[in-house]
Amino acid sequence: VKTKKQNSNLRKLFSKKLENAEVMPGDALRSKLMRQVARKEFLRFNPARLNIYYIAGILITGITSAVLILSASGDSPHSKTSPEAIELLSDTNSYIEVPAGVPLKTKPQLSAVIKRESINSKFIPQLNIKPVNEIDKAKNAQKSNKSITSNISDSLSRNGISGDGSANKTRLQNRYNHDALLIDPNAIVGCSPLKLKFHNKSASFDSCRWTFGDGGYSNERDPEWIFDIEGEYKVVLEVFRQGGMSSSTATVTVHPRPQARFEIIPDNAVLPNDVIRFMNYSTNSVQFKWDFGDGSRSDYFEPTHTYSRFSNYDVRLVVFSDWGCTDSLTVFNAFSGSEYFIEFPNAFIPNVQGPTGGYYSSKSDEAAQVFHPSLTGVTDYHLKIFSKLGIPIFESNDINLGWDGYHKGQLCEPGVYIWKVRGKYRNGEPFTRMGDVTLLKN
Amino acid sequence: MMSDQQIIELCARHDRKAQQVLYDRYSRLLLGVCLRYASDKAEAEDILQESFLKIFFNIQDFTGSGSFIGWLRKVAVNTAITHYHKNLKYRYHVEIEEFKSIETGVISFEEDFYTSDELFMVLNELPAGYRMVFNLYAVEGYKHKEIAELLGIDTNTSKSQYSRAKAVLRDKLEKLGKLKSSYSGDN
Repeated sequence: VKTKKQNSNLRKLFSKKLENAEVMPGDALRSKLMRQVARKEFLRFNPARLNIYYIAGILITGITSAVLILSASGDSPHSKTSPEAIELLSDTNSYIEVPAGVPLKTKPQLSAVIKRESINSKFIPQLNIKPVNEIDKAKNAQKSNKSITSNISDSLSRNGISGDGSANKTRLQNRYNHDALLIDPNAIVGCSPLKLKFHNKSASFDSCRWTFGDGGYSNERDPEWIFDIEGEYKVVLEVFRQGGMSSSTATVTVHPRPQARFEIIPDNAVLPNDVIRFMNYSTNSVQFKWDFGDGSRSDYFEPTHTYSRFSNYDVRLVVFSDWGCTDSLTVFNAFSGSEYFIEFPNAFIPNVQGPTGGYYSSKSDEAAQVFHPSLTGVTDYHLKIFSKLGIPIFESNDINLGWDGYHKGQLCEPGVYIWKVRGKYRNGEPFTRMGDVTLLKN
Repeated sequence: MMSDQQIIELCARHDRKAQQVLYDRYSRLLLGVCLRYASDKAEAEDILQESFLKIFFNIQDFTGSGSFIGWLRKVAVNTAITHYHKNLKYRYHVEIEEFKSIETGVISFEEDFYTSDELFMVLNELPAGYRMVFNLYAVEGYKHKEIAELLGIDTNTSKSQYSRAKAVLRDKLEKLGKLKSSYSGDN
């Protein structure tokens, strides 16, 4: 009774005194709360007030218009420079020769010589040379292959020439038509890694400097250079002599080397019967030539092949890119991992609950309750198990049937048993194995 | 002087001034509610702030049926429960078998003997779980079944936590009472 009274007292005490008790919050809380309200209001969509959606809208509009304005003004200086560039074309006096034998696609251009008339000039900034070369290429494009044509029209339009491109070209030809052929070959196309030998054919000069467009340079007269990364490089030769300098440029286009890569599936294929699939992981390639090593070939992207007999074969894949670059990969002894074998364990633990029957699969017998081999490529199989006294207690002609440790329904005693197996592999090779196995009990 | 109805209408339109008035009018009462559920005043103010954010941004949900104060109180209590759940894992949980009720001389608790500050203090010292159940049952008047649902616990847990909370409170109040009477006796 006492506690009951106390309890109700306690409850009454708290509910009466505290239900409507007021506590003065700190001054800081009010401003903190109002700040948070303002922040939340800002994040909330409300058409009547400034909030994040308005700011975002304004930002996007601002950035878009800024980009538009910049790109519009960015175009104009280029179109202005191009007439100057045409003037500068005559300021060159050097030769670039690329020897034959370099694996190029545009072979007719290989060992041609560039020659330009010489007019001394005190300044030849590289920036101005750039558009010159675009025009060189424009000329070049008329005679060279299609891929280059498209490159050029790209670069022309980038520089704002394309608007009256045809007019520009005619003008060029009018002015330098005696040069036209000699400028032609300074577009060099090849596959990465591209090794080139450059020749400076200037008659006399004090020094020269080659810049290769990939960050490298050389002061040799006839440097050799390897371009190992795909891309378009502008090679500039500056020749210094008394009274001034002159320069000449050439474009080197390096196409990526394709990469031949493939995988043979399945991993542990069993010849000759299995259908072998070749998974193709090649990059930058458009054309494929397979050689399966047994005399048959294929042009498919991912061919399948069935070998007619067991042997070790070398599988070879040659790939070709759009630009005629090639790569190849050969897997020697491609099926060495799939040799036939049969191996037996040396112990097992039968199920004490009763005979399991002895049928097994690689997954079902994790507890090692059945004595059975691990094998591939076995066609003919005959297993016999004897006790230590030589009495046969188990026999199987079925590869999928192992010994469960029982004999006539009775679990055999733990101990050592002798096994012997005879059979044939798929290639016709016979085998005989024997050994002992310990029957364990847990 | 704005009426509650005006305040509600203006707050529904996110009127900054009406929000201030609402805060000035009810923050003390609601902090009283929050303080019962918190372990100290700072935590109570956190809960109060969250509650007001909810009130300001969901005031259109107040249907007008029932009292406005009741709705505000409910928001605060629910916020306190959410807060409790959020911080549950950070709390050091004390198992209080040691606070078994001890028979003492004090038979009943006189209402006027303790100030509300003292009662708050005693409540704040309770472990969070006990405090939740005790407040919801003894002060808010929820049933154990409802409390169990709100807190996501078993009904029996709610009941046992309530009785343990009472035992602890009784013990604390008695100690406080003895301290107080000896103190006043000395003077």
